[in-house]
Amino acid sequence: MGGLSNAAYLFIVAVGLSLVFGALRVINMAHGSLYMIAAFVTVVVANRLGLALGFWVGLLAAVIVTGAVGVLIEIVVLRRVYREEHLIQLLGTYAVTLIVAGAVRIIFGSNYRTMSPPQLFSGSLSLAGYRYSVYSLFMIGAAIMIAVGVNLMLYRTALGRNIRAAVSDSELLSASGVNVARLFTTVFAIGAGLAALGGVIVAPSQAVGTSMDSDVLVLAFAISVIGGLGSIIGSAVGAVLVGEIYSFGLVNPYTNQFALAFVFIIMTAVLTIRPWGLFGRAEQ
Amino acid sequence: MLKVAGLNVRYGKSHVVFDLDLTVESGQMLALLGRNGAGKTTSLMGILGLLPGAQGRVAIDGADVSRWPAHRRAQSGLAYVPSGARCFPNLTVAENLEIAARRRAGSNGSSSTSSRGTSWTKERVYELFPKLGELQANMAGGLSGGERQMLAVGRALMSNPKVILMDEPTEGLAPVIVQSIGRLVLELKQTGVGILLAEQNHQMALKVADRAAFMEKGRIVDEMPAARAINSEVLHRILGV
Ligand SMILES: Nc1ncnc2c1ncn2[C@@H]1O[C@H](COP(=O)(O)OP(=O)(O)OP(=O)(O)O)[C@@H](O)[C@H]1O
Ligand SMILES: [Mg+2]
Repeated sequence: MGGLSNAAYLFIVAVGLSLVFGALRVINMAHGSLYMIAAFVTVVVANRLGLALGFWVGLLAAVIVTGAVGVLIEIVVLRRVYREEHLIQLLGTYAVTLIVAGAVRIIFGSNYRTMSPPQLFSGSLSLAGYRYSVYSLFMIGAAIMIAVGVNLMLYRTALGRNIRAAVSDSELLSASGVNVARLFTTVFAIGAGLAALGGVIVAPSQAVGTSMDSDVLVLAFAISVIGGLGSIIGSAVGAVLVGEIYSFGLVNPYTNQFALAFVFIIMTAVLTIRPWGLFGRAEQ
Repeated sequence: MLKVAGLNVRYGKSHVVFDLDLTVESGQMLALLGRNGAGKTTSLMGILGLLPGAQGRVAIDGADVSRWPAHRRAQSGLAYVPSGARCFPNLTVAENLEIAARRRAGSNGSSSTSSRGTSWTKERVYELFPKLGELQANMAGGLSGGERQMLAVGRALMSNPKVILMDEPTEGLAPVIVQSIGRLVLELKQTGVGILLAEQNHQMALKVADRAAFMEKGRIVDEMPAARAINSEVLHRILGV
């Protein structure tokens, strides 16, 4: 269960990373930073407003703040590096992670912060003889809803159709009358929104601290690579795999130092057999 | 209708198209003929606004669009049939058409109000190419070359363009399909659409074109009525026929 609720927030973060890479062909190192901003905003707002409403107002505030920061990053940084090679793109978005990390320390301080789950999802529940925290069930439900929502957006809306078209040929798309620059900003904002939702949802379940940007980025990256960058199903399967392996590693006292190593062993194994990931497509 | 003046295109430091001047009138077709590497594709892409290294004046219906990004040029009436029947392979046939759907941009002078100038819809494209109707739910990536070429033409029509820029639309197609594209082009001209056709295959091009421009090493070296081009010395020299 701990594995699945970890898989839930990791999926939400990874699917955003994967969506942005699929359409924009940029690996956004700042994705974890957006997630961290959202978690801090949620904790601060929630602890100020109390159990009943705090989480929900925090959610709204976090998505708005993170979305705005995301749009700013796309316009100021990414637009300058789309045509550059991957190394330049990595350096550009890595610079953003340093700036955000510094800003978060200045604004929120470097102490860990915690919050309780919202009233609606507090307590625990027994099912088939096991006890589950209601909040971890909520995390799983939220991840499933987001998976369905992202799928509907991609396959049932004009926006989604344009995003899929941009994945295969953005030049032809602009010659067909679609404003690709605006589309990219929209995709990046959606990606930032997904990072934010991951950060909001994780906040009541873990201590919120200044290292969570790189912690989540490493795992989300592993998930996307295992599942295949750009694939939603891949992100889901990758998240369950990584969530379970990581949790298994962590709860066992003999292996908890190596939890991350387990994840990378699996990633290496997948990459050896299928370099484009379980559900990805080989390039060219 | 489409007027290009002094267009120069560079890929980085290499200068590929030099001082291109051309005009495509409403209901007329200009064939841009030249050998491999002459600069035909580069010229079309420069006119469409797809190349950052393009400089010069491009006007649609008198409006200077030289500083506009590609999508705004498309919205104001330019459509593109790229070479190699390029489509969105991971989208269905229907989605490939929907993506370009657009009502005719602004008014288009008297020519567009001719009786046949009703606007293009998916249904009309399927009437024109019944095969596409049968395949509408299929992924475009799985179509044959000829089917994808029809799709590329259909997609261009869906934007109800004023001018269509076609890049070797008959390359590798069976003679029947070449003929049907030839007929379509004649019909389009009657509805007032202007066409700029880049071709190496002068046979089909000169049959349906009104004028021909000959391109060599990135420059237009001669331009004349299509009827005269068929027996011209420049045709023999440049295309080696
Ligand atoms: N992306 C590019 N970068 C650098 N040079 C290019 C690029 N694309 C084309 N060229 C060069 O520009 C010149 C013109 O190419 P272009 O594709 O426009 O010719 P074309 O007339 O369309 O030829 P074809 O009939 O083979 O399609 C060629 O010398 C080609 O090598
Ligand atoms: Mg060409």
